Amino acid sequence: MLSLLKRYLTLLIVSVLLLYPFGSFLAKGRRGRETNFVDRVVIGLTAPVQRGLIAVIDGVKAVVFGYIDLRGVRERNEVLSAENLQLRAALRALGETRAENERLRSLLGYAEVVPGPELPARVVGVNPVSKLLSVRINRGEDEGVFRGMSVVTPDGIVGQVVRATGGWADVALVTDPESRVAVRVQSSRARGTAAGTGKGPLRLENMLRTEDVQEGDLIITSGTDGVYPPGLVVGRVTRLEKKEHGMFLGGEVEPAVDTTRLEEVLVVGSPFGSLVQAPLGGER
Amino acid sequence: MKFLVVVGLALLLLTVESVLVQQLGLAISRIDVTVVLVAFLALRAGTREGAMSSFAVGYLLDLMSGQPTGLFTFLAVFIFLLGKLVVKLVEVRSRLTFALFAMGADVGHGLLASFFTWLTAREGVAAVSLSGLPTQVALTGLAAALLHPLLRRFEVERPSSVGMLR
Repeated sequence: MLSLLKRYLTLLIVSVLLLYPFGSFLAKGRRGRETNFVDRVVIGLTAPVQRGLIAVIDGVKAVVFGYIDLRGVRERNEVLSAENLQLRAALRALGETRAENERLRSLLGYAEVVPGPELPARVVGVNPVSKLLSVRINRGEDEGVFRGMSVVTPDGIVGQVVRATGGWADVALVTDPESRVAVRVQSSRARGTAAGTGKGPLRLENMLRTEDVQEGDLIITSGTDGVYPPGLVVGRVTRLEKKEHGMFLGGEVEPAVDTTRLEEVLVVGSPFGSLVQAPLGGER
Repeated sequence: MKFLVVVGLALLLLTVESVLVQQLGLAISRIDVTVVLVAFLALRAGTREGAMSSFAVGYLLDLMSGQPTGLFTFLAVFIFLLGKLVVKLVEVRSRLTFALFAMGADVGHGLLASFFTWLTAREGVAAVSLSGLPTQVALTGLAAALLHPLLRRFEVERPSSVGMLR
């Protein structure tokens, strides 16, 4: 028996190494498993190494690109200063409008959706597999980042946190083919869904063909998906397909954020965050 | 190659890839550094040691993908075994032939990954992966050519077999 086992040991080991992950994939292929204890240990061991490597790469980049970046800084500084003045003036005007809006809201007794705190984070890398288009940020559970939180930039939405560990979080991008965002046309308030296609523009879905929507219209989040707070910019309508038959119109939305050039992002605590974070069957 | 060296190297290469792809602004295509590593293992490692190392490399890739499903762990071991079969038929010695070998492995890896993704994911995900495959294979070939000298450094000299019949 022992000699038989010895003889076929390699075959046995290779079979287990091949069939165990395959079985695991067939069982939970679509969504993937939750991060288990072994995963956490491996992440815990590898994260400091990865962090160190990123620091080294950043250092090399800073030396190489430092000089190039400095060229033209004076001219850019002047342009930015002028822009800053304009923005401050615009901000003052908006402050007046906001105060007026708040007064009117309180008069009408409207309940306001208060988004959670915003946490700045840095994009440190992208997912090495294109099955899920995601980026990794340098904030995790330790800083209060959890699965389901939305990630934005001042230009618009970026994606949603799909996994958070100690000091890292993975953010699935809005361009990922599995991504769906509940949206609204800013001007006409028509509702629909922006679906990721994997590259370039998002696909406009579930928008009634009778709705008032034009090419160039600004698309914002509606907040009804429970992930993104309402009113965040998603992009602009670049193409519309109004078929003669059918309930819905088709179209494309150019995302406001270029997800291939992300550097700094903000993690936003969703107003529905407590629902997302609550463990299933846990205390409420 | 020692198991821990392979794991360390995989971690280093995945981190560099992750940062490099971000810097290059690649939307869909990736550089399959793990396939390069598995291809090298298929050439130089024994079946048991290579399968275990490939499993570890695939597991790391799965873990870093954000949604570990086991697919890339399975594919790493499968490509390693397939590579072991192929090297019985072809001779891979130079940097160029290694790059071509790794590119072939990447085509197989990419097609299988797309197929299994198509089986389980929503419509469109597999098509997206396939559209980025040509660039990915070219970048992987380039990475293989660049990494070949480094990988050979980590190679442990094995005693050559004496005679044809043993």
